[in-house]
Amino acid sequence: MMSRMMFRSAYLFLLALLLIGCDNVPVDQNFVATGSSNRNYTGPEPATADVQSFKTNVWDNLVDKCGACHGTAGQSPTFVQDDDINLAYAQAITVVDLSSPESSRLVTKVAGGHNCWESSTDACAAIMTAFIQNWVGGSEDGQGTKVDLDAPEAKDAGDSKSYPDDSSLFASTVYPLLTTYCAECHAESAQIPQSPYFSGADVDAAYDAIKTSQKIDLDTPANSRLVVRLRSEFHNCWDDCQDNADEMEQAVTNFANGITPTQVDSQLVLSKALNLGDGTIASGGSRHEENVIALYQFKEGEGSTIFDVSGISPSLHLQLSGVEGVDYKWVGGWGVEFLGGKAQGITSASKKLGDFIKASGEYSIEAWVVPANVTQEGPARIISYSAGLADRNLTLGQTLYNYDFLHRSSSTDSNGEPALSTNDDDEDLQATEQHVVVTYDPVNGRGIYVNGVFTDDLDEVEPGNLGDWDDTYALVFGNEVTGDRPWHGKLRMVAIHNRALSPSQIQKNFEAGVGEKFYLLFGVEQVVGVPQSYILFEVSQFDSYSYLFSQPKFISLDLGADPGSFRIAGMRLGINGKEAAIGQAYVSVDTTISSSDFVQSDQFNAKAQTLSELGTIIPLEKGVEADEFFLTFEVLADQTNVYIEPEPLQSAASVSSDSQPEIGLRIFAEVNATMAEITGVATTQADVQNTYETIKQQLPVVESVGGFLSSHQVAISQLAVEYCNALVNDTTLRTGFFPGFDFSKSASTAFDATGKSQVITPLLSKVAGTGLADQPLDADMSGELDALINKLTACGGGCAADRTEVVVKSACAAMLGSAVMLVQ
Amino acid sequence: MKIGLFITMLRKLYFVVIGLLVVNLSVEAGSREQAKRMHDRIAGVPPSASVLNSMEADIALGNAISAAETAMKNPAFYNVTLKNMITPWTNEEQTVFAALNDYTATVIGIVRDDLDFRLILSDDIIYVGDDALGLPAYSNSNNAHYEAMEQNGVDLSTGLVKRDQSLVTGLPVDATAGVMTTRAAAKAFFVAGTNRAMFRFTLLNHFCNDLEQIKDATRPADRIRQDVSRSPGGDSRIFLNACVGCHAGMDPMAQAFAYYEYEYDSENDPDAENGALVYNDVGMIDADTGTRVQKKYHINGNNFKFGYKTPDDRWDNYWRQGPNFLLGWDTNDLDLPEGGNGAKSLGVELANSEAFAVCQVKKVFQTVCLRQPIDTDMTAFGNIVTSFKSNNYNLKQVFAETADHCKGD
Repeated sequence: MMSRMMFRSAYLFLLALLLIGCDNVPVDQNFVATGSSNRNYTGPEPATADVQSFKTNVWDNLVDKCGACHGTAGQSPTFVQDDDINLAYAQAITVVDLSSPESSRLVTKVAGGHNCWESSTDACAAIMTAFIQNWVGGSEDGQGTKVDLDAPEAKDAGDSKSYPDDSSLFASTVYPLLTTYCAECHAESAQIPQSPYFSGADVDAAYDAIKTSQKIDLDTPANSRLVVRLRSEFHNCWDDCQDNADEMEQAVTNFANGITPTQVDSQLVLSKALNLGDGTIASGGSRHEENVIALYQFKEGEGSTIFDVSGISPSLHLQLSGVEGVDYKWVGGWGVEFLGGKAQGITSASKKLGDFIKASGEYSIEAWVVPANVTQEGPARIISYSAGLADRNLTLGQTLYNYDFLHRSSSTDSNGEPALSTNDDDEDLQATEQHVVVTYDPVNGRGIYVNGVFTDDLDEVEPGNLGDWDDTYALVFGNEVTGDRPWHGKLRMVAIHNRALSPSQIQKNFEAGVGEKFYLLFGVEQVVGVPQSYILFEVSQFDSYSYLFSQPKFISLDLGADPGSFRIAGMRLGINGKEAAIGQAYVSVDTTISSSDFVQSDQFNAKAQTLSELGTIIPLEKGVEADEFFLTFEVLADQTNVYIEPEPLQSAASVSSDSQPEIGLRIFAEVNATMAEITGVATTQADVQNTYETIKQQLPVVESVGGFLSSHQVAISQLAVEYCNALVNDTTLRTGFFPGFDFSKSASTAFDATGKSQVITPLLSKVAGTGLADQPLDADMSGELDALINKLTACGGGCAADRTEVVVKSACAAMLGSAVMLVQ
Repeated sequence: MKIGLFITMLRKLYFVVIGLLVVNLSVEAGSREQAKRMHDRIAGVPPSASVLNSMEADIALGNAISAAETAMKNPAFYNVTLKNMITPWTNEEQTVFAALNDYTATVIGIVRDDLDFRLILSDDIIYVGDDALGLPAYSNSNNAHYEAMEQNGVDLSTGLVKRDQSLVTGLPVDATAGVMTTRAAAKAFFVAGTNRAMFRFTLLNHFCNDLEQIKDATRPADRIRQDVSRSPGGDSRIFLNACVGCHAGMDPMAQAFAYYEYEYDSENDPDAENGALVYNDVGMIDADTGTRVQKKYHINGNNFKFGYKTPDDRWDNYWRQGPNFLLGWDTNDLDLPEGGNGAKSLGVELANSEAFAVCQVKKVFQTVCLRQPIDTDMTAFGNIVTSFKSNNYNLKQVFAETADHCKGD
């Protein structure tokens, strides 16, 4: 495996060398290209393959950066001496940690600012780590190694100050200074606004900005960024920087002194306490990065440059354009949120993508993304290597719920179309953190993987070749190079590989996760008595607002430790002196630690027993530097703390005192049933049933009188007419309903006083009932019906033969469709 | 019909009558008026003269409950009032226009037979049409049986017959959970999705609360499934401030439905009209989960891989503690456990809460009084809830007492 890694590293190096020689690949001015130093080395040949790998990946990259001091006969260690590569190797071995490259002294020195050649020490550290990782062979070799955990300093959970919810204390202490001296920039209304907006006119918004940007250290006011920026970094002092810093420190101190510390409950069974920085950094070595040609980890956290930390020359750094806080925003836990801006590399550096990818004939774009929504389209450009709206080599984009992969080849056009997109129905893209990989190789064509899984979207286009790729294009994140296809969302990691990652490699990289992770060791030896025993959590900053805690284990760094048998139950996460109110996921843990289950870990140089496979997020409070964590237990060995939740108080039920109408309407089915009940016509009578099914949704649906509409009245009338029609057409029913009335008479004779009474009286009694004081007066109702009959029989002898039935139906429908029936 | 001919006259009469009614409603209601109102509200239709006389006499003698019981003998109480009240519970749109189905029929039957209303969420029970009615047979894959009952105008006060759900549908006895395991409920709430809908709508319909009113972010988050993003739109505050409030309590209870699915042919039957409820009984292993748990419980597992991966149908009621303690769990002192396996025991847990009893009374109150209770109703309302519980959860008793309360002065 090692030899294959080295071969590939050497291949990359040689490839770059060839390309430099043949193709004039532009070289980053700040970064000496791999191989350029090769001309300087004239000493003995590397004695072993490992020395050769060291030379290719480390010595060649560092000789010009560090050679002035650490070269031949220079300061110890002389890891870039140029007289004998084998001696340089021997020196280098003393300052690297091959099992954990990021812990190497070479890395920690540049991380601390020691002659960093980039503008960001984080970038230097990442690049140096990449050099060493490339030397040791990348991820594959790291698989078998176990993590060495560092025992943290034991400290007790202390009382802690937390930001008050209310902004009034801030308004009277720090805010006046900020609005006086900082509002020209740190306010949304500023001419060129600079986030965070802690000096804006709205004090609540300003306070929120102070909290989320973590500019105040409540426990040590002098360490507040508000103070440090003035005292040490001379950032826009308004007078004498020292005096201004003192003034700001006093204001912060006044603010902090006004906050009552949260006391740790003495009844709790506690572990020791830790800050995030007290943890052991979890190695990222489990990723497959053997063929990475550009890598962005977004560790910088500030500034306008996103560094390419792949260690592969030339460095393809990206420049963020626009205003921070408006067009883009750095986010906690490593990442940049694009709000309409973009990050773009220069074309000369971008050329390395084309060169490396054309040489291999295949590639993968891998990214941890967080789309802000599922409504953007264009496709909105997440990652693009292109020249404009219609010219590209490749683009990863978003259209609603879909990822789009545009890729230029001999079988697609210059815009990379037709695109490969995920299926609409699958909704593979979600507005949440996702790991997405697009791959291309000349055999399988394009593929899209989301969260480690192939999306099953097959490339309909023949794979083609990359001969038409244009090496004058630029790499851009978050937009098109022309700035008119913005993508809103976050990028937390981007890696460009010049190999099509295999499904297992993609799965592996997905499993490795994203962001900086720590192993936090919460000491419990003082309670359980097992030497060097801890509860281990993997912890990371999840985003700007929370921490992710996962997979707790009981461990001991003493490989000979025997825990005997004891119980751990009801575990809770504590932060800043109190148990976290939201996100507790280990309350249900109830595990007996036993010698048989407490065994040598596969992952750590420790004995361990897993407590839970779950993870959870808890809110970030004061900031990564300041938040202090601890654990509490209901049962930890022989110590217990019975957790009793206070019984909630019964609040007075909120019931309206407004009086409401006593009456209401009959609703649709009630109207139907009522008309059937009154007329005796069955609801299943064909005409009635048809009409009812047609108009029932036009009838009242709620009882509220206030909801009555004219359309309801029309439908009621329609149904009433239908029922009365069926009633009068049925000779048996009508005889029963209108006893004595002679339907055979003409309209001019049927409705004499007796005939009218024979029609009106049954209508009143059957529809309105009898003896009911809350119904309309019979005289009023019969008067209206009488008038109606008179009008309809005014035709006299000229009336049609069926007019008698029509008049009865009309009188019936008028009464049946009235409020007498409708109101209940 | 010559409808246009009558519209003008109808409107004129309508407004005249409305005016008269408004005047006359100020008249104090006597026993006869109270009887009429009770009948209208209970049955949805006016009483016949003889029924009105009988009810009037009962009320005059101070026996309004008997009067109400008389009104409940009208078939329209079942075919109209109960059907309208129950139908919206049986579909996601909460429409009252949905067809009669096994969920509605079963609740109507339980009321008609004076059974303990709590059984609607747990019993091995279903009501079907009488064989003598000549209806299409009950089918697990369509609703023709009940639609025919409706089409034929079957009198539900006599046409429904009580059966063992397990014998009718083939579900194992232990897998039956009253209306929650009827075909109509499955079609509405087990279709696609994650089965959380069954829990949410059961709360909505039988606790009279949506999750918004019950959410509690302080419950342990350990049972929230992997499919719930912890950073919707990339902002974990949304999860911590909103999502967790519902999911922390809901997910451990909705786990009770882990073995249920509503299967249908999405290609040829996109509206799922001919789907059927399926249940993974002992020994039936889902190919995707490797357990009896349905695939839908493990979908989108990579949204948050450290989330809970459902292994079985174990449910736990985290809302017994915290603010939702006030929902009044195990109100009948049955010493019910806070957890269990499957929908049946979850149904018992839900139905024995104070919130369940209060909700049933609230729905009947709305049906009979045509309004929500106000502060001056609360004493009577509380008494009706107490009476409901002490009368073996007989919903007819609630109708009778509520009608008495709202019969007018």
